[in-house]
Amino acid sequence: MNKKKVYPQWFLILPLVLYIVFFLFPSLLGVFYSFTDWGRATPKNGLHFVGLKNYIDIFTSNKNYSAGILNTLKFTVVSNIVKIIPALFLAIILFEGIRGMGAYRTVFYLPSIIPFVIIGIIFTSVLNFKNGMLNGALEAIGLGALKQKWLSDLNVVWKSIYMVDAWRGIGYVMTIFMTGLSTIDKSYYEAAKVDGANFWQRLWHVTLPMMRGAIMINLVFGVTYGLKVFDIVYVLTNGGPGHATEVMTTYSFQLYGAGSYGLATAFNAILLLITMVAGILIVRGMSRKGAA
Amino acid sequence: MKKMLCVVLCLMLAIGMFTVASAENVVVEAVPNEGQFEGQELSILVSADWMADRYDATIARFEETYGVTVDLQTLPADQYFDVLTSGLANGTCADVFWIQSNPVGAIESMIGDPENRCIDFTGADWQNVMPESRQSACISGGKLYGLQIWNNSPEYVMLYNKTLFDELGLAVPTTYAELKDVCAKIAEQGITPWFMAGADGWRHQLAFFQIGGVYEEATPGLYDALNNNTATFAGNEKMLEVLNQFKELSDLGYFGEDWIGTDSTNQSNEFADRTVAMTIENSGTIKQIKDDTGTTDEFGLFLCPLGDNTWYTTSPAGPTMFGYKGTEHEDLVRAWFQFVCTPESLQEILDNSPKYTNLHVNVDIEQHWLPEEEAFIATVPAEKMECCVLQNGTKYTNDYWMQFGQDMIEFVQGGIDANEVLTRMDGYRAEAAKNVGDPAWK
Repeated sequence: MNKKKVYPQWFLILPLVLYIVFFLFPSLLGVFYSFTDWGRATPKNGLHFVGLKNYIDIFTSNKNYSAGILNTLKFTVVSNIVKIIPALFLAIILFEGIRGMGAYRTVFYLPSIIPFVIIGIIFTSVLNFKNGMLNGALEAIGLGALKQKWLSDLNVVWKSIYMVDAWRGIGYVMTIFMTGLSTIDKSYYEAAKVDGANFWQRLWHVTLPMMRGAIMINLVFGVTYGLKVFDIVYVLTNGGPGHATEVMTTYSFQLYGAGSYGLATAFNAILLLITMVAGILIVRGMSRKGAA
Repeated sequence: MKKMLCVVLCLMLAIGMFTVASAENVVVEAVPNEGQFEGQELSILVSADWMADRYDATIARFEETYGVTVDLQTLPADQYFDVLTSGLANGTCADVFWIQSNPVGAIESMIGDPENRCIDFTGADWQNVMPESRQSACISGGKLYGLQIWNNSPEYVMLYNKTLFDELGLAVPTTYAELKDVCAKIAEQGITPWFMAGADGWRHQLAFFQIGGVYEEATPGLYDALNNNTATFAGNEKMLEVLNQFKELSDLGYFGEDWIGTDSTNQSNEFADRTVAMTIENSGTIKQIKDDTGTTDEFGLFLCPLGDNTWYTTSPAGPTMFGYKGTEHEDLVRAWFQFVCTPESLQEILDNSPKYTNLHVNVDIEQHWLPEEEAFIATVPAEKMECCVLQNGTKYTNDYWMQFGQDMIEFVQGGIDANEVLTRMDGYRAEAAKNVGDPAWK
């Protein structure tokens, strides 16, 4: 092997140091603090080791923190389904070369660059029951019966969050899929057509296997985004109505604000663990399929 | 002890109502401009509505006077405290910040370590601009940290459309049964009886907390016991009664079809259009509704009748401004506090406050008391004012205002029962007490 063509290992040192200092060390420090009573009074009273108390509190508290964990997992699954599937079909439709494709791509992508705070302001107004644009439009076209309390009805509020999240995220997911589509050789489709494959068969036997990389990227990004979700919930409902849309990060944020830093970091440590497990499982699963 | 302090402060506030503020006329002069602050920036972190537009003119004059810029960071109320505490904890707080302070430990519990986080203003010229009852909410460990410029109007009582009541032949309700009856008659007209802005996140709790006198009356010594951790919210019969009444009104639709998703942005118009009849508000809102809409309807005030309340609880508390010790511009912060306390600034702040009719200060400025305020106070016997609002008469309660509001909504929507709401408040208070190392909770 020609050694000159291999990057020397010391190239790794700088990124590794940055990774250790700014990611690994703070993460481990956070895990350490999750076993302590770190709080607002720590400068006065000192830091004490409390074992698993913070973790036990999370799962036994009357504040139903475990519902926040379940909500996070539910959001991760549903938000990815409602983004990835439509985004895939949009990407395919646009990639087929419909007229005005560039304009559509821009329009679909634009919401993903709008800050969450702006999205919150826009959609809390649009989804207002009494004066909101959505209910107003439904009424105007004779569908007043479909009017909803979008952000305050327990049966509707999560759907509203998924809807707004999909509106914001579909364009981003679609762009990654379009990049994946552009790497598929046209000859595969031509061959499939010659063999008489219809659209669904071409999708199943050509497009999806060839897009494994793009799907994996979207899944990893989507799952980590879903597990860490905070902004979209915070700006739309702030965990409400009541505590119906609390997720792990909103609880963690509240606890941090209340000065219970140890308990807040325990939440973050659980989140870190779930994210790591999910990430490893997805990458392993997709790699295995790729190797098969 | 805390209750005694609170009673004394409430009495001072009650006595202070409508008395001429200039009994002790304190005149503060602005720091002379010698170009010492030229080009500096002063950042102010505040919750929505605490400064509103009323400080804009004063800020503009401050900028012009000293050649500085003011970065005013106004956050929604439901997000404010989280952002503030994060900023204080990680050392990135604005030069000036606000908290809802009170005389029963709010500074310690909300700021955590005032000595290391707040500028010590002890001995400042402006200290006596505030009446003593207000100063008590600004001092911790004998040191002056805060400045509370707030009004002394009837605070968060029932505001109603008097003209509408007269036209419908309705009398002001004094008991819960009467309130329900009045609500039913108003609802029959297609009008929302009680405007409740649940989406604001901080308003609906007022119906429970502002009537603290009924809880103390039902369980004498309750405030002291709560402060000594020898009583709990959970199981308190009167509190349970009030929470259940609140839910009943909600279930009957008397707060409107979607009060949980409604915010207060359109409140003035709702009153002027007569789509709503009552709400819990400050008396100054009467002036604001009239100014905003030009309505010719007359408005009035009465005591919130939940729990058959007969108390007008007063509050020696309010939004209070603090200087952040980690600031790079401590002299500029000091100059800002001084500037706010000049008679010119105080008059400007009052004149630019559509909601407020007076400022509770020892400075000779022109107050704008409303006749409705005078009429309301005349209906309340002095002894019925000798109690603090619950949130500011008991330790750590106000710190969890927003969470309690979320719990109330969860209760109203059927997720938990009334006692669970109260049990959670006990848990929150215990958490706060633990965080500041309160010996009563050890």
